[in-house]
Amino acid sequence: MAYHSPYRAPAHMNAPPDQGFLWNIFQRVDKDRSGVISDSELQQALSNGTWTPFNPVTVRSIISMFDRENKGGVNFNEFAGVWKYITDWQNIFRTYDRDNSGFIDKNELKQALTGFGETQSYRLSDQFYSTLIEKFDRQRKGQVAFDDFIQCCIVLQRLTDVFRRYDTDQDGWIQVSYEQYLSMVFNVV
Amino acid sequence: MSFHYGQGYPGGGNPPAGASYGGGRGPYGQPHSAPYGGAAGLPGGHYGDGGAPGHGGQYGPGPGGAPSGPYGGYGGQQTAGPYGHHAPAGNIPPGVNPEAYQWFHTVDTDRSGFINLKELKQALVNSNWSAFNDETCLMMINMFDKTRSGRIDLFGFSALWEFMQRWRLLFQQFDRDRSGSINGMELHQALAQMGYNLSPQFSETLVQRLALRGGRPGIQLDRFIQVCTQLQSMTQVFRERDTTMTGNIRLNYEDFLSGAVTRLM
Repeated sequence: MAYHSPYRAPAHMNAPPDQGFLWNIFQRVDKDRSGVISDSELQQALSNGTWTPFNPVTVRSIISMFDRENKGGVNFNEFAGVWKYITDWQNIFRTYDRDNSGFIDKNELKQALTGFGETQSYRLSDQFYSTLIEKFDRQRKGQVAFDDFIQCCIVLQRLTDVFRRYDTDQDGWIQVSYEQYLSMVFNVV
Repeated sequence: MSFHYGQGYPGGGNPPAGASYGGGRGPYGQPHSAPYGGAAGLPGGHYGDGGAPGHGGQYGPGPGGAPSGPYGGYGGQQTAGPYGHHAPAGNIPPGVNPEAYQWFHTVDTDRSGFINLKELKQALVNSNWSAFNDETCLMMINMFDKTRSGRIDLFGFSALWEFMQRWRLLFQQFDRDRSGSINGMELHQALAQMGYNLSPQFSETLVQRLALRGGRPGIQLDRFIQVCTQLQSMTQVFRERDTTMTGNIRLNYEDFLSGAVTRLM
């Protein structure tokens, strides 16, 4: 992939941390020593860089991405994926949060997300970025924090993937029936 | 504290004066779109999301079947009279459901005069006593939070409370085997009765995706509310684009994204 795809955290940004290091973290996060990190354990361990609790919806999205048996949490092996996923996003976020405020504004979000729409037909308007900010800005600051940024990217990624599946000629347009349309959007709830 | 399951519909229908809630431009009262027969109208609740022009739906229920005003159709139980039968006790502001008024002070644990996500989540339980999921709580806060402050005031809470009661009743009604959860077939029957024209596979897949592994094979009240509310709103998105009523729409990438981002969540 030549272009920098921000919806998918790039694979090369971090060397994999060694197992001992991860095991150490895992044990600290797994407070009840169940061997599985739950939503609330992960949420408590994460910081969005501001003094507010990490978005629980983002936590759920991330865990469900790596939780293979749908057990409601991640084991140590799966946690390695979670760790990498979050740190990769963190690096991207830091790149665009130039003033280190913990938030990125509309223009920064746009910069972070362009490159994904590498073809003309997948380009997004300025107004759409305003919509994104409005929708994902949980703290109502007109900007998005780290946790909301991840959630925004997860949602866009899922929607884009499902759109591409229907857009077989890749012209940016699809034709769908009522049930197809609902199936598309409900796969991404 | 919790809203106990089976608390019943408050006062048999006393829609308060809707002025403060905007919204109800949609047809109030009974479902008038014949095909859905006696189906209870869906509890609507989007503030200011007035009824769209009603074409009889070949896919989803028309606004008659799914009123969008917060107090919109609840079967035939609407009574006139803004304040209903309850004699206002204490200083209940006009338009606020008296029972909701009492609950409000219990739920507002930090006494801020507003209900936030955490307080709402603590107050709501499913029939198996599990807490409501975050997405549904967030969705409902967004629906009833007029000021976009991320929390709801007494008026919003009153509307939310009635919204919840109606959904609870529907949930019980559609949980035909009384298992405490809605399975794929029950969801399909529920949606069909609400006027949605969707295949049984659609409901089956949806329930499978939402049900918790290891738990009962079905969805609880929180997911049921979430799914039905989102279906209502996404059907509206589709209908707005299906101007020729063919049941097929053509839409571009950004239109698809913004429809889902703004109306699904």
